[in-house]
Amino acid sequence: MKARHAAPLAAAAALLVLPSGLTDFWIFIAIEVLAFALYAVSFNVLLGYCGMLSFGHAAFFGVGGYTAALVIKQSGLPPALAFACLPLAAMFVSAAAALVIGFFSVRRAGIYFAMLTFAFQMLLYTIALKATPLTGGDDGLTGLKPPGILAQPVAYYYFALLMTGASLYVLYRVVSSPFGYTLRAMRANALRVQYLGIDVRAHRLAAFVLSGAFAGLAGAIFALSNGNVFPGWLDWTASATPVVMAVLGGTASFLGPAFGAAVYVVLEVLISGRTEYWSLAMGIIIVILVLLMPEGLTGLWRRGIVRPGARAVPLPTREAR
Amino acid sequence: MSSPILRVESLVKRFGGLVALGGVDLAVEAGEFRAIIGPNGAGKSTFFNAMTGLLRPDSGRVAFEGRDITGEPPHRVARRGVARTFQITSVFPDLSALENVQVALLAHARRSWNLWSRARVLGTERAQELLALVSLATSAAKPAGTLAHGDQKRLELAIALAGEPRLLFLDEPTAGMAAQERLEAIRLVHRVARELGLSCVFTEHDMAVVFAVATRITVMHQGRVLAEGTPAEMRARPEVQQVYLGETA
Amino acid sequence: MFELIAQYFAWAQNPVVLARQTLAGVSNGMLLFLISAGLSLIFGVLRVLNFAHGALFMLGALIAVSVAALLPDPLSGFAAALIGAATGLALLGAAIETTLLRRVYRAQHEMQLLLTFALVFIAGDAARLIWGREEHSIAMPAILAGRAQAFGLVFPIYRLFLIAAGASVAAGLWLTLYRTRWGLFIRAATMDRDMLSALGVNTRKLFTAVFMLGAGLAGLGGGLAAPVVAVGPGLHVQVIIDAFVVVVIGGLGSVLGAFVASLLVGLVNAFGVLAFPGFAIVLPFACMAIVLIVRPQGLLGTVE
Repeated sequence: MKARHAAPLAAAAALLVLPSGLTDFWIFIAIEVLAFALYAVSFNVLLGYCGMLSFGHAAFFGVGGYTAALVIKQSGLPPALAFACLPLAAMFVSAAAALVIGFFSVRRAGIYFAMLTFAFQMLLYTIALKATPLTGGDDGLTGLKPPGILAQPVAYYYFALLMTGASLYVLYRVVSSPFGYTLRAMRANALRVQYLGIDVRAHRLAAFVLSGAFAGLAGAIFALSNGNVFPGWLDWTASATPVVMAVLGGTASFLGPAFGAAVYVVLEVLISGRTEYWSLAMGIIIVILVLLMPEGLTGLWRRGIVRPGARAVPLPTREAR
Repeated sequence: MSSPILRVESLVKRFGGLVALGGVDLAVEAGEFRAIIGPNGAGKSTFFNAMTGLLRPDSGRVAFEGRDITGEPPHRVARRGVARTFQITSVFPDLSALENVQVALLAHARRSWNLWSRARVLGTERAQELLALVSLATSAAKPAGTLAHGDQKRLELAIALAGEPRLLFLDEPTAGMAAQERLEAIRLVHRVARELGLSCVFTEHDMAVVFAVATRITVMHQGRVLAEGTPAEMRARPEVQQVYLGETA
Repeated sequence: MFELIAQYFAWAQNPVVLARQTLAGVSNGMLLFLISAGLSLIFGVLRVLNFAHGALFMLGALIAVSVAALLPDPLSGFAAALIGAATGLALLGAAIETTLLRRVYRAQHEMQLLLTFALVFIAGDAARLIWGREEHSIAMPAILAGRAQAFGLVFPIYRLFLIAAGASVAAGLWLTLYRTRWGLFIRAATMDRDMLSALGVNTRKLFTAVFMLGAGLAGLGGGLAAPVVAVGPGLHVQVIIDAFVVVVIGGLGSVLGAFVASLLVGLVNAFGVLAFPGFAIVLPFACMAIVLIVRPQGLLGTVE
């Protein structure tokens, strides 16, 4: 067994036995971590690999959550069947939304791209808020539960682990593929890439749809564990969440954002348990992050600050920005 | 006689009230090593950009291998077999030199839509070959952004060659280099072009470089072609003297 | 068929309603202008999209409330409140720019986004800590309360005052931008920052000054809004969204664009509520998206 496989395998093993040591409350938190890890990593496919900052990614997380809720509650299918269709349905609807939004957004670059995604997220937010017959309006959709045995936290945890693990594997293969290399080249130098014969817009759109689809799946996973979904998932402050998680973990590595998600979720639980001024704490943490450790936690790790002298786990060749 | 590999007719490009290209004609035969010279502002870069799709010409025609490519976007132009390098070196700084060439090879092989294979091992042999061709074999693993200026220019050449072009545009390929380095650099390009049967069109300010390798010279001034001919012919022409003197004045 | 349409737009034939909504639209537009002018300038010069701008507006309103509470007489209290809000926010803006914002000018976009978001989070909770959760307001000075009558229609005086105040600020801004040296630098900076520092202009001070100006304007807007708006934590949320819409439509970096777009958005909001009661809130975002798709530099912005 190669040395560099040891760490990930140990981590995988830890994840498998995790529920045995946790209370129900913390198992729900673990499920949340898994969902948000997928959310953050899929977001980072756009930011870290394509260099595209999407201000409106919460739209897809929300669309996925709402789709899951509608499938489980209102599709009229027997619960088991509805649940089986759920991941695909969530991904499909989110991908469709991403296709439409992306089609308009990727024609622009930089700040205009970001603002377009933001505008579309706000459009979806207002729909979620106003289309009460469909979306439950202000209150959202509640009482979401996975069927049968999966309603048990431990069982749902393994479901979430399976979904997240499989999705992360797929995303990893994608970013390590020729398509992934092309994306990284597009981020490095979009002009030169065109002269290689690459249709930049088409590739960006594909990356956007892929990223949106998996963000939607993450939303679906979380919705069923959380029990409800409401318009707040789509409001403008929610657009910062994937950015914080990705930057916190480190955008230069594939799994960095997953780390960031774990830290973010756990911090939120711990801090909001102690004070109602969670936003203030989050704000201060972000300021520290931005000013003192812009490369995120994995950046610190790689520089040996956290583990001096240890060899860093090899990552796909990326220069820290 | 075969038709020219590149034929440009009456190419016009305006920016608002400024006429950057006022009707440029050009015909390049296969196998040529054509130099385009002229003072700054003559429109050389604009000309390149208008031919390769970065700018849309206002009127005129660009034909490559007999096919009309006027106004096609850069990625289409590239797929037809045209490559270019840039005045300000344009590589992929975060990727290693090897990866730079790999990406180009993958794009050329139309594998950029392959979402599953492990790219790290694809095309490495051919990429190494290309790096060796431009004498960069030892720097394969280095991030392109950390390479010396001259090495980056050579990497850019390797990237351009990965697309198996038949026509290569080089925008000031020796910019930013010391005099001796410049001759070496242009001789490298010339040698490679000969080996691979490429036609080249390049812009240049240094006359020593031009006269060392060019098979034909086109002089541009204020958006038009002033004169054209073999190096021997051009050496005698007063316009070329003016340009030459103008450069070294 | 015609009757249906006529019924639907019945309100359009009622001059009282028209006048009332126009006035509301224009006066709200003025408030919006005060916020978006600053936002637009900050983006044009500093190239930072200041998500915290709505929070600055809110803080201005809260400071105005506190200052007004110190003075017994509503008129002098209100005047002091406006001055306090504007200068207080200008100073706060200076503090934010010099200590925090300055560090991220050369950083990646996501770092700038995160920093301004962090300011929103911090300001929101700070407001709750300092001013509590309830809503506050300012007693309107007698001279500005009440209504005026003209052409058989009734207008609240405060709305007229807002329009006058907004127009004065707009005029003042125009004078500053087009008749002073700093204004020239600001306009030049929206077009080419690097050139400006190459010419020897102290861009550091310019940036600080621009941020102070933007923050001060937002503070002033907050103070002016305080008598007519429920001032409490959460005020910043809706405001920033509208401000973004305005700035996009008007053109990032253009004050004139912000002025025109503010009036537009104000009027669209005022009439939209009548025309499409349920979905009126979609209109601004739809406009924003359309502008970004068709002409991203907005009505009057400069193409980057």
